[in-house]
Formats: sequence, C-alpha cells, structure tokens
Amino acid sequence: MTAPNTAKRTVHLGEAENTLISQLLSAGARGAADELAASGLPTRRIEAYHYTDLKALLGEVPAIAEEAGQVGPPKFRVPGAYRILVANGRIQQSTTPPNGVVVSEAGGSSLTERDDVLVMLNHGLVEKSLAIGLENSVDPIVHIDHRIAGAPAHTAGALRIEVAPGATATVLETFSGSDAAHMGNQGTRVELGDGARFTHIVVDLSALNSRHFHTIEYAVGANVQLRNLLVNSGSALSRTQMFGVFAGEGAHGDFSGLNLVDDGQHNDITLDVNHAVPNTTSQELFKSVVRNRAKAIFQGRIVVSPKAQKTDAKMMMQGLMLSEGAQILSKPELEIFADDVQCGHGSTCGELDAQSMFYMMSRGIAREDAKAMLIRAFVQELLDPIEDEELSEALSGVVEEWLSRPAKSPAI
Amino acid sequence: MPAIKETVEHVEELEVEKYKYGFKSDIESEVAPKGLNEDIVRYISAKKDEPKWMLDWRLEAFRRWQTMTEPTWARVHYPKIDFQDLHYYAAPKSMSAPKSLDEVDPELLETYKKLGIPLKEQEILAGVEGARVAVDAVFDSVSVVTTFKEELAKAGVIFCPISEAIRDHPELVKKYLASVVPVSDNFYATMNSAVFTDGSFVYVPEGVRCPMELSTYFRINEPNTGQFERTLIIAEKGSYVSYLEGCTAPMRDENQLHAAVVELIAHDDAEIKYSTVQNWYPGDKNGKGGIYNFVTKRGDCRGKNSKISWTQVETGSAITWKYPSCILRGDGSRGEFYSIAVSNGYQQVDSGTKMIHLGKDTSSLIIAKGIAAGKSDNTYRGLVSAHAKASGARNFTQCDSLLIGDACGAHTVPYIESRNATAVFEHEATTSKISDDQLFYCQQRGLSDEEAVALIVNGFVREVLQNLPMEFMVESQKLIAISLEGSVG
Amino acid sequence: MSTPMLEIRNLHVRVEDKTILKGVDLVVPKGEVHAIMGRNGSGKSTLSYAIAGRDGYEITDGDILLDGQSIVEMEADERASAGLFLAFQYPIEIPGVATMTFLKAAMNAQRKSRGEEEMKTPEFMKAVRAAAGDLSIETDMLKRALNVGFSGGEKKRAEVLQMALLAPKMCILDETDSGLDIDALKVVSQGVNHLRAPKRSMLVITHYQRLLNHIVPDRVHVFSDGRIVKSGGKELALELEAEGYSAFDEAAA
Repeated sequence: MTAPNTAKRTVHLGEAENTLISQLLSAGARGAADELAASGLPTRRIEAYHYTDLKALLGEVPAIAEEAGQVGPPKFRVPGAYRILVANGRIQQSTTPPNGVVVSEAGGSSLTERDDVLVMLNHGLVEKSLAIGLENSVDPIVHIDHRIAGAPAHTAGALRIEVAPGATATVLETFSGSDAAHMGNQGTRVELGDGARFTHIVVDLSALNSRHFHTIEYAVGANVQLRNLLVNSGSALSRTQMFGVFAGEGAHGDFSGLNLVDDGQHNDITLDVNHAVPNTTSQELFKSVVRNRAKAIFQGRIVVSPKAQKTDAKMMMQGLMLSEGAQILSKPELEIFADDVQCGHGSTCGELDAQSMFYMMSRGIAREDAKAMLIRAFVQELLDPIEDEELSEALSGVVEEWLSRPAKSPAI
Repeated sequence: MPAIKETVEHVEELEVEKYKYGFKSDIESEVAPKGLNEDIVRYISAKKDEPKWMLDWRLEAFRRWQTMTEPTWARVHYPKIDFQDLHYYAAPKSMSAPKSLDEVDPELLETYKKLGIPLKEQEILAGVEGARVAVDAVFDSVSVVTTFKEELAKAGVIFCPISEAIRDHPELVKKYLASVVPVSDNFYATMNSAVFTDGSFVYVPEGVRCPMELSTYFRINEPNTGQFERTLIIAEKGSYVSYLEGCTAPMRDENQLHAAVVELIAHDDAEIKYSTVQNWYPGDKNGKGGIYNFVTKRGDCRGKNSKISWTQVETGSAITWKYPSCILRGDGSRGEFYSIAVSNGYQQVDSGTKMIHLGKDTSSLIIAKGIAAGKSDNTYRGLVSAHAKASGARNFTQCDSLLIGDACGAHTVPYIESRNATAVFEHEATTSKISDDQLFYCQQRGLSDEEAVALIVNGFVREVLQNLPMEFMVESQKLIAISLEGSVG
Repeated sequence: MSTPMLEIRNLHVRVEDKTILKGVDLVVPKGEVHAIMGRNGSGKSTLSYAIAGRDGYEITDGDILLDGQSIVEMEADERASAGLFLAFQYPIEIPGVATMTFLKAAMNAQRKSRGEEEMKTPEFMKAVRAAAGDLSIETDMLKRALNVGFSGGEKKRAEVLQMALLAPKMCILDETDSGLDIDALKVVSQGVNHLRAPKRSMLVITHYQRLLNHIVPDRVHVFSDGRIVKSGGKELALELEAEGYSAFDEAAA
C-alpha cells in the first residue's frame, strides 16, 4: 500500500463546460470534447490559470456565432491603414491588398497544439483561418478588425501571419463588438523569417460584458526585431496569452502591454518567452492601471534553455492602483538553465506617488487633473516606442477614453 | 575562461566524503515497526506517555491525512515515497526516559561533540567565550538533553522538549498548537500532526528578554527513519527570543524523510528571531541518498508591532521544500526573511517565503540568495500578499541567483498579490554568474581562483549572513565553502 | 499698516505622531523678503510644507493667512491659485510628463481657478522663452520630462522659471541654495531678485548665510525646535554665521 487516496477524482462539469462540449461535438471535434469532459475548465489549481479560474469565472457560453449582418464603423481606426474586417469569425470586407501583402484562407486553427484549454477549443472550433503573408516592406499598417456582432455569440477565429525574411511590417489587431455577453476565442500565430522587422499591436475594446480570449504565438527567426504591444481596456473577463520562442540567434523582442481595468473587469495577460538559442535578447514591460473593484493580472515567464548562453532578458511589471477594491496580481518568473546570461525582473505596485501629487498641486493643478496627468505619464513609456504617429494617437485615444469613463458605483 | 572551467570541474568532482557530518553513531535503538497506521500513532503517543487529548488529536490528524494527496506544484522531482516503508519512531535505548545529563549515553554525547555541539554546560562555559547557547538535542525521535533549563527557568522562560511540554504545560500547548499551521494545512503538516515525535517548546513570558540564545540540534541517525519534529515558540507581550536550529544526518544510500512543523507566535511588541542552518545529508555525487526535507514553518505576528525574522542557510538535503512564512496580523507588525540556499550535485531546492499582510501598516522584507552549482535546481518561490484591509502595507523583495556551471538551473517564482491600493510592493530579481572579469581582477591581486570564488560568493551572500548570530555566521561561511567544495577551497 | 502678505499665528503642526512646529508666529509684510535660518531638523521644511498644504502635515493649532485670507482649509492647488508658490528643496522628478506640458497645465489651471481665460499656445511659448532666457535655460531642457535627468542647478533654475511664469504673490524658497555651485547660485539669485516687487513677498529658508549675500533680506528669523527664537535685521545672519546656532539654543529652551 502506498499513499492513501490516489483514485482519480471525477470532475464535476458545469453548464459552461457542457455547452462547450456539445459545441465541440457539433464541430466534429470528439477528441477535444472528450478531453474537456475529462478535465473540465481549469481552476486556480492549474498553475497557468492560478489567477484566472475559468471554471468559476467564465459564466454562460453563448451559441456559436451565425454569419454577421452589416456592422458599424470601427471603434479604433488608423487613417491610411489597410483594413480587413472579420465579423463573427468570417472575412466580411477587404479591398485589394497593398503591395507585399497576400491574403488567403487555410483550414483549421493556426496555433500549435498545446496543453491549454483555450488552444484546444480554438482547434476544435475553427474551421478556416485567415492567412496574411507579408512579403517585403509593407508600408501601410495592416489592420485586422475583429468584431462580434448581433446577439450574444461564441466565436472562434484564427490568424496566421507570415513575415518573409528581411520584410518589415506592422499588423494591428483590434477586437470589438456589439454590446452583448459574447465569448471570443482568437488564435494568432506569427512566423518571423530571419531578419524580419515586425510590430504587432493588439487592442481589446470588446463590450464590457463580454469574454475575450486570445492566444498569440511568435516564432522568432535569426536577427529578427520584434515589438509587440497589447492594450486592453474592454471585456468583463479577458485573457491574452502569448508564447514567444526565439529560435534563431541575434534576435531581439520587445514585449509590452497595458491593462486598463475598471469596475467589474478581470484582465489577464500571460506571457511565456523562451530563449531557446544563444545570443538573443528580450525586454518585457507591462503596466496595469486599476480603478474601482477590478482585477489586473500579469503572469510573465522568461525561460532560458540550456545552451542559450548570452541571453539578456529584462522584465518589468508596474501596477498602479487608483481605488479601494482594486487588485493587482502578478507573477514574474525566471527559469534559467544557462549560466552566462543577464536576466532579471522587477515588479512594483502601489498608488500614485504622493510627492508628485503634492508637487503638481502646489503649482495649482487640481487633484483630479494631477491624477490624470500622472496616469498618462505612467502609460506614456509604453506608447513612446510606437513610431507611427497616427497609430500612437489612436492608442492615446484608448487611454483618454478610459480616463474619461464615468465613475461607476462599486459592484457589491 | 580557464578559471571558470576549473571551478566547474572542481564542483563536478564533489565527493560525498566532503560531507563531514556523514558518520553514523553506533547506538542501540528502539525502533517502531515500519508503516503508518493508527497503531503506530498510538505507539508513538504511548512512548511519549501522552494524555488522551493528545492521542485523539493525533488520530484525527491521521484520519485527515488519509484523505490527502502529496502536493505537486513545487519544482522538485523524486520517485514516489512509500510512506509505509518507513519507521516513524526511533530512540536510543538508553534514552527511553531522558533524565539528567549525567545519565546520557556517552556515545550520544560523543556524537554531538563530533558535530561541534557540546552539551555539558561546564564545557560550554569553559569553551567559547562570550554568548552562551542553551541546546535541546534531538536524536532521531527523542530529545536527549536540554541544557541551561534551570537558569532559563529563573527568567521565567520555558525551554524543553515538546513531549515534556505536552505533559507539563498542557494549557499552553492546547492553546497554541496548530494555531498557526492548522492540522490540515498541507499533506506533510497533517502527517506531522499525526506522528510528530519531538522538537522544542519555548515560552517567553511578558516583558522578558530571553537571557541567552536557544537552539535545537536535530540529528537523524537510524536508517529508514523519518524525523517529524514539532517546534512551538510563543513570545508574550514585549518579549524577545532568538532561536537557532541545526540539522545533520549520516550518509546513507536510501533517502530519509524529514517533515517538520514549526509554529511561532509573537504577541504585542514581541520579537522572535529564528535562524536555521540546515545541513542534512544531500546525497552522493550521483544523486543517490540524501534527506527529503518537507518543512512547514510559519510565524504569526499576532500582536501589534510584533516582529518575526527568519534567517536560513540551506546547504543540505536532496530535496528541500520549505517556505518559512509570516502572517502579519497585528497592526504595525513586521516580517523578515533572509535566505541563502546553496545547491550542488543533484540537489533540488524549492524554497522561499510567504508574507501575508493582514494588519494595517505592516511591513516585510525578503532577501533571498540562491547559488546553484553542479546539476542542481534551485528555485525561489515566494508570495507577498496584501489583504483588502492591509492599508499602508510595504514589502521589498530582492532575489538574486548565482549560477556556477552550465548544467544547473536557477528559478524565481514570486506571487505578488495586492488587494489594497495603499500597499506598496517592490520586487527585484537578478540572475548572474561569477564573471571572468571579477575572477581575473581578484587573481591579478594575488588570489587563487578558489579564493576568488570564495570571496565573491561570500560577498554575494553577505547581506543574509550578517543576520545570523556570530557563531552561526562563521559556521555558515565554512558550510557554504564546503558545499561548493573545489570552487571555494 | 496694510494687510501683511503672510501672517502665521501660533502655528502647531504634527507629522504622524510627532509635533514638529510648536507655535510659530510670523508676519511678512507686502514687498518684503524675510529669511528663516535654522539648523537641520529644526522644522524649517515642515513650515514650508505646512504653508503649502502637503497631506499629512496636520495643523493642530493656529492659523495661516495669505493676504488676509486663512488658507488652512484649502487644498494645495487652491493655495497655489491663491498666489502661493513653494520652490522645493528637492524638486520632484516626474517621468513621462514633459516640462512644457506641465508648465502649461499649471498656468492654465491657476488662470481657470481665478476665472481668467486660458493662455493660447503662442502666447504661452513667448512667455516661457522670455523667462527661460533670463535664467539661461535651454529650450531643449523644457522638452525633457519634468526634472528628470536635470542637474542640481538645472532643477533649481527650473523652479525659479516656474516662479516667474506663475507670478505668485508669496514665494517660499526652501533651501534653494542647496546643491548649487557659486555660478549657479548667482544665476538663481539674480532670477529671484528680478522677481522682487512691491506686491510680492518672499520667505527664504536657508541653512547658510551665503545665499543671503545674494538675496538680501529685510528681516531674518532664527528657527529652533519648531519656533522662531529670535528676529532681527539682515545683520542677524552674519551674527549667526559667526557664533553658530548653539548660541540661540538657550533662547529656545
């Protein structure tokens, strides 16, 4: 006799799980359905979902989205961008692509299979994914405008971005939709050829009662320069998980994100960066601003594989809490298997600096204005590296919209 | 890179013989049959001559344990432990009823002497000048002797084996036992509650500054035996106590289990300083043998402006699973955690702390230094949390890892949870190696590469060492050097 | 006699659990420059923070009047708009906020609260350039984040620049000479002297007499243990320099 009680626990399945299982079965994804039935949605006991207990938080899963009708103008717009409108998971509108951009469709999800419920659902439910090839220096910003329209709907979509060796491009993905309790589960895989220079901006402006999930993979070739920036101000519940793998030497990645979280919101950014080869560098900078009863989560892990000598990776997480009831939960991890490396992380969280507030007020600036200025200053560091002025301005607009959101009474 | 290369080679050559506490003592023991069941729990309780309430408490813990499974979240890997293939009680035959020092088996005294722990008070007095240390010596499952008891009693301080406290001070034990680490806190703590054998009990009355350092010295000698220590320290209002803990075990090919529970309670304005030098047998160069060290240590800053400070130097054990924590309940209370964890060979360390801020204006400080060499894995895992009512909470955390060689791993897993806007948390972590520049600089000034590494490692851990009582600081410096033998002369 | 610019009556201030100011009485008439001298820890900076209205500086007794109006119930920004200016001993660095943006925000906030119209950008730029020129401040510096990466001298010049632009009635200069070499001290003092006017008063807080060679005060007050223990003309500063503060400790006791 060994340790007591090793009998497999039977998982109790809730309504959300049952709906998902039947949706998977209708899509012909029996394997995924069985898996979900066996394990259920992840709880806080699953380390990767420690702070986002999907079983407790997900709520009702709406029906799979039907084809969308006509949708309105974009919430986030960059003048001059080449825009592809994807409504309820289907391309609804796109014009002739600019030079160097190839748009096509491929079967199934674009993501690599992995032990993760969101990825598994994406694989089970995505029929066709959108593929964007960026073949040389692409001038306009390529904007993928993801929408969920109409009544509450569950959409699963996937995108594959392939950046040719030496190409330069910027892709913007935005998420928004009608004011309904949607559930979106998007996958984006980015493959970066050697020497590519790529900027990836992802903005979530989903309705404040919807659930938004996004898995992003970066396969980084040699000598690539990658910059990503996430800006989240929408959704009741969101999780953006990024998996970056440096597979070629000499590459550099800047990973960054901003969680703007207000009453009732729960926004989770999870990052896993793997330096798998020698001589690669990365910098991670993530900021959260939390107001009222809301949660911002950041989990970041830097992995340095054995043999990945000369890795230089620095991760910083900063949180700003503006009111009672706010929560900032973070877990910056290092997993180092090579000795000749420079790795570090830092994490700070607290309220607005009292000295700075006093200094500004002593110059006559009213308390609320001083606060807003300090919040803008806090997030500015993330927007500064964005070279495209119109894009930068549009991103500032998201911050301004958040700042000017009317104060809600705290939820009970 | 020659210096670094040599260092690495030296470290790889680490021989088990370097573990200087690996001798076995030839002492006839009384050993309980293998296995863990209700009968064994009754056996232990009977051996300790315990009152019925204690037996019932143990049995309840055992029943709970049967429903629990081993935790798997830590970054440690080991073959499944067969909990039925262990002895849960072993005691030197001569020591079935510990009395005065004169009756202690001379072989036992010799054992402690070899470990550098003199137990005869006159020897202590005659020996080192300066601070005296009262010692409770725990050999396998029993306390063999406790020194300076009378002198401490004059100051009102109770310092005795916990088995004695259960008999002589039941009101205190009932009040405080499991009040910090609940019986069903975790798999190992629950198991400990069922089968704990000995450990120390300390009670410092109101306003008393304990007149000397208290210490317990743990030794596992019998093969296939688990040691389940239980320590309980209570500091009443305005009191102060500094407590030290040391541990060693012989070299044996099979793994031995050590599952301890330590509970500290600090009332208003009280301070407890708890230092550990953990040097359990780490296993041989192929990763064979060594102690599995699963420890639950927790301090409760129950009173206003109370303070608990943990300092640990972890050099031993094959597996370390240990998170000395502070519950900062009292307003204005403070928790500190200073740690050095050295891993070499195939050792696996998963250690850190939890600072739970519940009261107002509570503060905590974490300084953790991990040094990984050989093929070891060294993980810092820590939690800093501020409850919604913990306004004004402050934490500063610094975690640094040093890697020696390219076959080891150093990991940092902090959980930072702020639920109060006025809480300010700062966390920093770095990973580095000893640079060729540093080594070259030292060598150019005339140091050998080994001396240079010793110097640099000592500099790396200085902040933590400084928090140890003087005798332990010197001992620890040597211990770290031995643990990294080859690289540090 | 007209209303004094600043009048402090029996001011007691507590910070956390400690009473720092223990009954300060001070009158600064319009157009005058007064100096407060005292050793470190005597409570000089506490006085400046209490006047400016910093959170955590609790007034337990007494009153502060600016141009006849009590300001103790006002927030820091309201006091600033009422015409009070504090030049900080250690100006605060605020990353991410360009100096120019900050100056404009401050000027317009004050104008707005006084019911004046906001300043247009060209007009503002002109005013800033003029003031910056007087203080030998490069416009490049104004594009940088507020006080971030500024040298000690640059920070103090930026403080005087703000003082010039905001045109306060009452200026408090807290250890403005600290961290300045002699050349920087001259530039800063000239800037301050330039702002002396019949309708503007100043309170210069300093540890050393040397600043008072450059900004010559009308009156000097010696501060010790949270109180003014002696007042006199500008010659009192020299006396202090020669005899040291200990000569005044008895007066405090």
